[in-house]
Amino acid sequence: MRLGGNDPHTLAGAYAMDAVSEPDRARFERHLAGCESCRQEIRGLREATAALAAAAAVQPSDAFRDAALRAAAQTRQLPPASGQALAGRTAGDRGRRRWELRGWRSRLAVGLAGALAAVAVAAGVVTYGMQHRLDQAQLHDHAVATVLSAPDATMMSAPVRTGGTATVVMSHRERALVFTAVHLRLLPAAHCYELWLIGAAGSRPAGTVPGSARGGMADPMVVSGLRAGDSVGLTVEPAGGSPRPTSPPVVLVNLSGAS
Amino acid sequence: MTEGQGRRRSGGSGAARGDAGQARRTSPSPFTGAREPADELGALLTLVARGDQDAYRAFFDRTASHVLGTVLAVVRDPAQSEEVAQEVLLDVWRSASRFDASLGSAAAWIATLAHRRAVDRVRSEQKAAERELRVASAAVAYDEVTEAVEARLDRERVRRCLGSLTELQRESVTLAYYGGYTYREVAGLLGVAVGTVKTRMRDGLIRLRDCLGVDP
Repeated sequence: MRLGGNDPHTLAGAYAMDAVSEPDRARFERHLAGCESCRQEIRGLREATAALAAAAAVQPSDAFRDAALRAAAQTRQLPPASGQALAGRTAGDRGRRRWELRGWRSRLAVGLAGALAAVAVAAGVVTYGMQHRLDQAQLHDHAVATVLSAPDATMMSAPVRTGGTATVVMSHRERALVFTAVHLRLLPAAHCYELWLIGAAGSRPAGTVPGSARGGMADPMVVSGLRAGDSVGLTVEPAGGSPRPTSPPVVLVNLSGAS
Repeated sequence: MTEGQGRRRSGGSGAARGDAGQARRTSPSPFTGAREPADELGALLTLVARGDQDAYRAFFDRTASHVLGTVLAVVRDPAQSEEVAQEVLLDVWRSASRFDASLGSAAAWIATLAHRRAVDRVRSEQKAAERELRVASAAVAYDEVTEAVEARLDRERVRRCLGSLTELQRESVTLAYYGGYTYREVAGLLGVAVGTVKTRMRDGLIRLRDCLGVDP
């Protein structure tokens, strides 16, 4: 279930055309976050897909137009956000934009560092090292920020059975969540923690937890493709992850109670 | 493209073009064809973000047919497609302020919104078993998709550029974009290795991009 081959770049075309599964998408977006040339390539490929869209044009009816314009006139617009919530979901350009304080937002949405710090506080520990990591993350991953700054972002924490605390910030609107954990039990090199979205149809792999083998704080992970009724589970898997869970979850966070 | 800019460009297209960094990035958009300057759509979006309903109407009239056509190609069912296209176009109104020209053209933005929404719709509705069945009925699918698309390929340039792709590249791109299939499904449909399909999709899109001259 990895990206396949040694070179994740080969997925760029499929990704630009939404021809990827959710786990593939999540993995590729994590790759994008640290790869400026990939983001540049995706931008170019998206322009090509825009041409494909134009080529398929079908004139809508007058009734369609009237309904659309009426709906717009009756719909409140979103205020500007610093994140690129909807377009393309390429991770943003590192360091190019600054997160701003916005009074109108929920208490979580006070910018990425603030929000992640809130996560860390909720988990019980903040260290300078962690703060440094948070700052790095701020520059690193707009996808994280998009979830954290969503108007419906909700935070939940739960103890991990084998030690440590898992924290999830989720947004149904973005259909995504951010997962992080502190003080996870160190695993031998042959194992890793793997995250799952668990719904009515079974478990979908959501990626192995980076940094978890080192203990301390796991790097925030963005998981997209969240569906109503999903729970998030963490299991211990052979290194590299498994296509489906091979052990019971060490923590299971039920997301359905959240708005 | 200059550093530290959280804000999109403001003002009309003239203001946008005054910025050298912007000019480099806003290459001619395939979406707008020859009739309008590439960043006119982006300039309209800036106005839409401020609640300008006239600008929204203008944006709608330039893009709604592309949105509807894209969604129809993927979703097929006309009633459902209209519903999805309505959602996309309302999304444009709601989230115009989220458009960021540094991440691509307005045309690419809305095409991405439309395609993603269409794909989400068909995938969320398919149970795993149905999907397998869909992939199994391979032969029909490609002909259907090709037929539907060719009927709509009224843009000569895109047709010509698609024609410059190898057959496998073209099939991979067409099935992925207009068919809404994942690369794994496309591999199944075409009876080709997954890795090969991934590569052909990327190479095909790159060739298409170069042929269209839309390299950002």
